[in-house]
Amino acid sequence: MLAQKLHLLRHNVLSFVSSRTGSDLTRRQYDVIVVGGGHAGTEAAAAAARLGAETLLITQKIMTIGALSCNPSLGGVGKGQLVREVDALDGLCGRAGDSAGVHFSILNRSKGPAVWGPRAQLDRERYRQFIQSELLSTPRLTVLEGSVDELLVSQPNPEEPGHHRVTGIRLVDGSHPILSSSVVLTTGTFLSGSLFMGQTTSPGGRMGDAQSCAGLSYTLKETLGLRVGRLRTGTPPRIVKESVDLSLAQLQAPDKQPTPFSFLNTHTRCKPEEQLPCYLTHTTPGVERVVRESVHLNCHIQQDAKGPRYCPSIESRVLRFPGRRHQVWLEPEGLTSDLLYPQGLSMTMPPELQLRLLREIPALHRAEIRTPGYGVQYDFVCPTQLTPSLQVKSTQGLFLAGQINGTTGYEEAAAQGLWAGVNAGRTALSLPPMALSRTQSYIGVLIDDLVGRGVTEPYRMFTSRAEFRTYLRPDNADLRLTPRGFEEVGCVTLRRYKKAVSVRDGLQEALMALQSVALSSTRWREKLGNISLSENKSTTLNRKQCWTFRIEIYTVYRPHCEKQSREMERIRSEESLSLPSDMDYLSLPVSLSQEVREILDRVRPNTLGAATRLPGMTPAGIIHLLNYVLRTGRSEDTHEFKLN
Amino acid sequence: MLPCSWGLWRSAIHTLKTFSRASPSARGLCIPTRAVCDAETIFALSSGHGRCGVAVVRVSGPASSMVLRNMAGLTQALPPPRTALLRRITDPQSKELLDRGLVLWFKGPHSFTGEDSAEFHIHGGPAVITAVLQALGSLEGVRPAEAGEFTRRAFHAGKLGLTEVEGLGDLIHAETEAQRRQALRQMDGELGRLYQDWSYRLKRCLAHVEAFIDFSEDELIEDGVLNQVDSSVRQLETEIERHLKDERRGERLRTGVQVVIAGATNAGKSSLLNTLCQRPAAIVSPIAGTTRDIVETSLDIGGFPVLLSDTAGLRDSSDSVEREGVRRARQRVEQADLTLVVVDSTQLPPDPQLVAAFLQEHLSTVLPSPEAGMTAASDRVLLVLNKSDLVPEEQRERTEGELRERPGLPPACFLSCSTSTGLEDFLTVLQSRVKTLCGDPLSGAPSLTQARHRAHLQQSVQALNQYHQYRDQDLALAAEGVRLALTHLGRITGRVGAEEILDIIFRDFCIGK
Repeated sequence: MLAQKLHLLRHNVLSFVSSRTGSDLTRRQYDVIVVGGGHAGTEAAAAAARLGAETLLITQKIMTIGALSCNPSLGGVGKGQLVREVDALDGLCGRAGDSAGVHFSILNRSKGPAVWGPRAQLDRERYRQFIQSELLSTPRLTVLEGSVDELLVSQPNPEEPGHHRVTGIRLVDGSHPILSSSVVLTTGTFLSGSLFMGQTTSPGGRMGDAQSCAGLSYTLKETLGLRVGRLRTGTPPRIVKESVDLSLAQLQAPDKQPTPFSFLNTHTRCKPEEQLPCYLTHTTPGVERVVRESVHLNCHIQQDAKGPRYCPSIESRVLRFPGRRHQVWLEPEGLTSDLLYPQGLSMTMPPELQLRLLREIPALHRAEIRTPGYGVQYDFVCPTQLTPSLQVKSTQGLFLAGQINGTTGYEEAAAQGLWAGVNAGRTALSLPPMALSRTQSYIGVLIDDLVGRGVTEPYRMFTSRAEFRTYLRPDNADLRLTPRGFEEVGCVTLRRYKKAVSVRDGLQEALMALQSVALSSTRWREKLGNISLSENKSTTLNRKQCWTFRIEIYTVYRPHCEKQSREMERIRSEESLSLPSDMDYLSLPVSLSQEVREILDRVRPNTLGAATRLPGMTPAGIIHLLNYVLRTGRSEDTHEFKLN
Repeated sequence: MLPCSWGLWRSAIHTLKTFSRASPSARGLCIPTRAVCDAETIFALSSGHGRCGVAVVRVSGPASSMVLRNMAGLTQALPPPRTALLRRITDPQSKELLDRGLVLWFKGPHSFTGEDSAEFHIHGGPAVITAVLQALGSLEGVRPAEAGEFTRRAFHAGKLGLTEVEGLGDLIHAETEAQRRQALRQMDGELGRLYQDWSYRLKRCLAHVEAFIDFSEDELIEDGVLNQVDSSVRQLETEIERHLKDERRGERLRTGVQVVIAGATNAGKSSLLNTLCQRPAAIVSPIAGTTRDIVETSLDIGGFPVLLSDTAGLRDSSDSVEREGVRRARQRVEQADLTLVVVDSTQLPPDPQLVAAFLQEHLSTVLPSPEAGMTAASDRVLLVLNKSDLVPEEQRERTEGELRERPGLPPACFLSCSTSTGLEDFLTVLQSRVKTLCGDPLSGAPSLTQARHRAHLQQSVQALNQYHQYRDQDLALAAEGVRLALTHLGRITGRVGAEEILDIIFRDFCIGK
């Protein structure tokens, strides 16, 4: 039963394999090796290659590259912001979403443009195809099918901090090693992963795929001495569409006019009228009964590993909030798929009970299951052991991204993947690492939260995590990130850069045109009456309809962003003062208490900002530390990627 | 870590950091271009507390000239820099006369902080000082200074060398400690509970708005949640506004150094209180455990205001009332600026060589643990060896000799409350201690604290207005208002982080997408 293959893997990708396995495979030396072909791995590989690094992507199965392992959707509130930012830095997932989307909607439309959540239901097949063909056409990128057995490490470069240096990998088949300057690990749930269904447990990271990474786990834990934790997640059963009585569910229509994720796209591949609906239904008391009756048959929920509070299984939902109706979304899996994805019904009970549970829901009373739901438990590396460039502090050239860092979600993985790929590429090309500020992007918030605070449960992005939410909007991600992404980071192509610059200049011009007209409010009222901005006769303003829209948003938020600018500046200045990771805090010749020394020695904060947030640090300790760093010039002035 | 110290610490870093590198210039669209480098204008009472003829209030920052114009009625030109000018000082809103005093104008960079600065030399009474501080706080863009902020700005402007930073670190340490005591004091009282309650309710409001923003599209979070928030916010606004008005009318300054008398039962603590205030404020009896609650009295010691408290004798008791008294006594000791530990000298070991160890041991039972920031050697403790008339003269002298300049032990004074022997000497020691404490501008600065509270509460109310203003147009901006209000309140009660808000969301709602 556990060996059941996911239906989405059956497509033919042989051509893809062969086209990449020609001369390249004789090569045994790369700038960057990316391990894993999920959302983090594909973004990492593409970003490193865009930067100019010779890149090798190693994945267990080439045909699962770009597979959506869980829900067939992208974006949402907070997550949509991440997609827009990944796109602004020329990542893949935004354009892939535009190509694969079959149901687009902007969530939170009534709540202000800063918290709008662009979201789409996806066609799994189209998404996979897009990602694969995109990687295929990326220069300097080679894809190899294989399982990594071992991470090769050697003595560190003495001029840089760290105890080890990564030198490449060795594959399971025992062939000779493949060498590289940096390695990005994006192993998702495969690090010591176990699958759970009912009382059955088997090793693996995704149903239908080989288990893996035993050797990798060993290297990370034993050789590099990294602290790991354990988390869990799960996925719902897939339901045969025909067996569902959709007349008993509530139809949820998409937006009439789809909004693309990507700043490059003006429309989506799916035409407005071709979009598919979703359906909403609810759990019943019968569902709760089945859950209660099956608890003793359910290993997964009896385990200690931490699951997400916000994406819990139906079991933990009804156990934590009994006596309530819970929402269940029935989502299309694609244009040609005969399956529905029941969002909200992730479960790990035995398959026969899964079926009983489903059938307690009126619309699903005759439902048939194609593949049952299951749970996964996996190791993650405590992300406080990483620098803001996502490199493992102790190991030069080793980068981690995605679920291995304790996050959940495609978008969170893609965001980290992109940034890890950027820094892996920069390291290989002997460029200094870069950090993204939390004042400038959700990606910065994500990484800062991870490396600064660590995780206790799978980390998901929410808009409430971003203190400068009114500035970090989905509408201005291109202006925030694209120009510098080209000018300083090097991960943005010229085409996108030119587009962003022309938008920026155009908006600037339009704003100046608006500002040049100054009238008293009474006069404005006289003149305008009820005429809205879009009907303004200004040629600049009318040049592009979407610009008026962007200008409107900009002007609404500008006063608030200005008010926050001081706070932003303060955070940025704290972030930009990095503390050398090899500082010997225990014998630093400054007046620090033993307690403070021990805290600093244990945590080794990346920046002064992180040090101030440590519990137990004293204000005087910070001042002394700062004074020492300034006086001795020991601060590595991080090449912070910041826009101001 | 204590709430107040966070802001302090952060701004210190900011200052030091910006010292090391120039502020980056603004560029790009949608990026705030102004205000990045604009420091806020701050004010503080720069002279010490206690009774004094003249108090100096200092103002620093870009709005200093505006402050001077508004408060000193200077409609035309500013006075020549660094020249004293006698002016009527008025409330900028009500135009009410607050005082007549000297004003000085310092044009940056020729000032202590390097910024535009102004000084008000006013009369030293608490009422005048409070009125002037409150008037300053009511001006837009002007706020009470964080502890040590003037020094930090001076550092920022390059007026202090890097070598002086060590001193700055120590200063901040001392200030944090003073703030810790002050915050404990405030948070203990009714006011503290009130602020905590507001903070809690505001946190819930924010959590519910955030839940609505982040989850309402997919979860069962009904619009009703927002309606509840509407009424909670309105209720909070009303309460805070009422509080602000009340405070202005009926406020009584509880100024002064907090001196607490503590010790074992029947050591003569109440007798000491009565001796010091020269009237029977506390009931004195030979029965151990007579004093059960705190007895407070205001005193003037050497011209400095002192709030003297007598506490219940510390012992394990089966009487629940007495146990409560002991609990309060311990709490009061923790909040004290100065603790007088009273010991019955007839209980001292007859061998003078053993006395030091005995007292050391005794202190550890009376004083809170060292983690609380107080050690026996601290200059915030005095030992009073009472009932000296009952100890043989010769033993007393030898003991005194033994205890003199004993490291690790606070100064000890023999005293007899019944015969007043040794009172003069004790008063001299006490007075010098109080004087030292008053020289520390933070040890008892309730008017400054109140001005700070008022400023934060006012800003909190303003921010809540933003919630209503944007509630129906833009929920992100409305939430920003609640968040801002909570930040201001958090400056009084402690910082609230994003995780805390998420905890409330996940407790109150079933988020299950």
